[in-house]
Amino acid sequence: MSILLDQLAKQLGADMIEGGRAGQRRIDRAYAGDRVSDLLNHASDTTLIVTNLANQSVARLIELMEVPGVCLLDGAKPEPAVVETAREHGAALLVSRDGMFETCGKLYKILETACGS
Amino acid sequence: MARKTVKNTSGRKKPSPAGVAESRGAGVSPVSFQHAIQGGDYDSGGDGAKRIKDVLKKIGVDPQSVRRTMVAAYEAEMNVVIHAYKGLMKVAIDPAQVDIAVTDEGPGIEDIELAMKDGYSTAPAAARELGFGAGLGLPNIQKNTDRFSIQSTVGRGTQLRFTVLLQPQTGESPAVNSVRLDPARCRQCLMCVHACPTQAVRVRDGRPGVLDHLCIDCTSCMAACDSGAIGMPAAAELPAPSKKTVLVIPGSFLEQFGSDVGPGQVLGALRECGFEEIRLLDEWEAALRDAVVEYARDVALKPVISPSCPAVLNLIRMRFPSLLEHVAPFLTAVEAAREEITAPHAVWAAPCPAQCSALRAPSLLTKIELVDPPVLRKAAFEHIGVHARHDEASPRPAGPRQVLQVSGIRHVMNVLEAIENGRVSDYALIELFACDQGCFGSPVWVEDPFMAQPRFEWAKERHPILSPGGRASAVRRVEPLSPRAGMRLDSDMRAAMAKLAEIDRLTKTLPGRNCSVCGAPSCTALAEDVVLGRATPESCIYRSESPDN
Repeated sequence: MSILLDQLAKQLGADMIEGGRAGQRRIDRAYAGDRVSDLLNHASDTTLIVTNLANQSVARLIELMEVPGVCLLDGAKPEPAVVETAREHGAALLVSRDGMFETCGKLYKILETACGS
Repeated sequence: MARKTVKNTSGRKKPSPAGVAESRGAGVSPVSFQHAIQGGDYDSGGDGAKRIKDVLKKIGVDPQSVRRTMVAAYEAEMNVVIHAYKGLMKVAIDPAQVDIAVTDEGPGIEDIELAMKDGYSTAPAAARELGFGAGLGLPNIQKNTDRFSIQSTVGRGTQLRFTVLLQPQTGESPAVNSVRLDPARCRQCLMCVHACPTQAVRVRDGRPGVLDHLCIDCTSCMAACDSGAIGMPAAAELPAPSKKTVLVIPGSFLEQFGSDVGPGQVLGALRECGFEEIRLLDEWEAALRDAVVEYARDVALKPVISPSCPAVLNLIRMRFPSLLEHVAPFLTAVEAAREEITAPHAVWAAPCPAQCSALRAPSLLTKIELVDPPVLRKAAFEHIGVHARHDEASPRPAGPRQVLQVSGIRHVMNVLEAIENGRVSDYALIELFACDQGCFGSPVWVEDPFMAQPRFEWAKERHPILSPGGRASAVRRVEPLSPRAGMRLDSDMRAAMAKLAEIDRLTKTLPGRNCSVCGAPSCTALAEDVVLGRATPESCIYRSESPDN
């Protein structure tokens, strides 16, 4: 079971900064963290990455690991290069207005309902 | 002094992918490129990984392998960006694997053990802001690769080398050995069969064979073989060197030209053969020794066994697996050298099958060619003649210089022959012992002489009473030593010559396999026995089978 990123963004109340076709990609899990090594290890093509890193590091993550979407936190404004990379690689860029704890709490519920675990 | 450490971090959990080199798609030459990395350039960090990814995508590598390669490559690249002044990433890709070396000029790593631990980091604040410096980089690289090594010299830099296999390896990797048999030259003397310490050799139906799962790649069978039927998978012709070729030789190679030709001359001769860059394996042996000595200082389980000889490691793995914990966790010198050398072409004069095997492990970055050491020796020898006449900087001191102790009857005979042939000009005094380590090697003793003899030496230091204190004296020989006639065929020289001719003739009628079934040690010895009336030709079972003889 999985959920469309468009649908997830709506339920989460997050802004879809970069969407387009990426909104039609599906994820079945999320991984939250601020250490690049952790994110690299847990990235997959059905994993939403949740992170405070709104910089070059997350752009590389999108570029190298082909993650379907990244959710930034606390209404962060990503660097233009990050937006550009997301567009180029067809990845969704979401910005949650909440911090990591609240965002993850909401995500957990959404994914539990959508994916059944 | 800068310390170099080569850490074997591949551990025992994963089977070594040795042997892959032979199974990968034949005829496909690898895609290779280099990528320069600038220290401190956080924006460009990741460009190298991106280039790798583009290639992997183009050749259709599965997503999981791409991901693993990306994690390792990106982490390695960022390590250079964060910690070093500059670095170089060398990449080679073929359908079976991705081989990557990342070498940097930087401060090096003081304690690799510590750096390999999750959470240990020396990264600056700038790196941490970007989500790096969590101390997970090196463990992450190891986790995502199938082969990984790291070596670092404090004050100079660090090199990471890793491989991601693109084709699944099933089960345990096949045992690789490098003993090669030539049935055409085999005389079926069975010496190798008896010499093998692990009983891995068979000669059946006239053909010699090695049981791969038992062979430890030592040189016992080679040493026992007189017919040249046992060798190594090394080129019988000298590979042509280019400007980018590195020649790797063991230090022992430099001492294969007698007492009058020094290492400097041999190196000069090798350069004249076209090898501009020459590396001695001793560099890595010395580094290994330093590292193991340091390791042994802190480790509780004693004795520590140094991974100095790959054949011995094979022996331990097979016959003494309970001792594996005693082996210091470092690559052997030859493996460390293989990891460090990333030049596109390396010619290697490995003196034993075990080293050959280590060099046959997959390496896409470097085309490794094994050359049979005697072939290289012959090539060097042709240039040494010229050198010896002009005598450019021979490092040999003039005149005899030291005491030589030799033990073991085989070595004693070698030395005596060398003296007789006038090939020993550099030793002033020679002590020879028939048994290994002198009388400590007598078969009547129970302790191995190589352990007992040094123990006694230490004991002498502690207990002066064990040291002879001038009470005994040397006694001058009154009657001179006289030759023994044992070898002479007849007291009359004319008769002796006739017998010699008869022995030669008879020897030619014998099979020459020196099987000893007749009771004589060799066919020639049987011929001599027959001529001297000690045996009859019929005692040779092969000769009497054949009506022609």
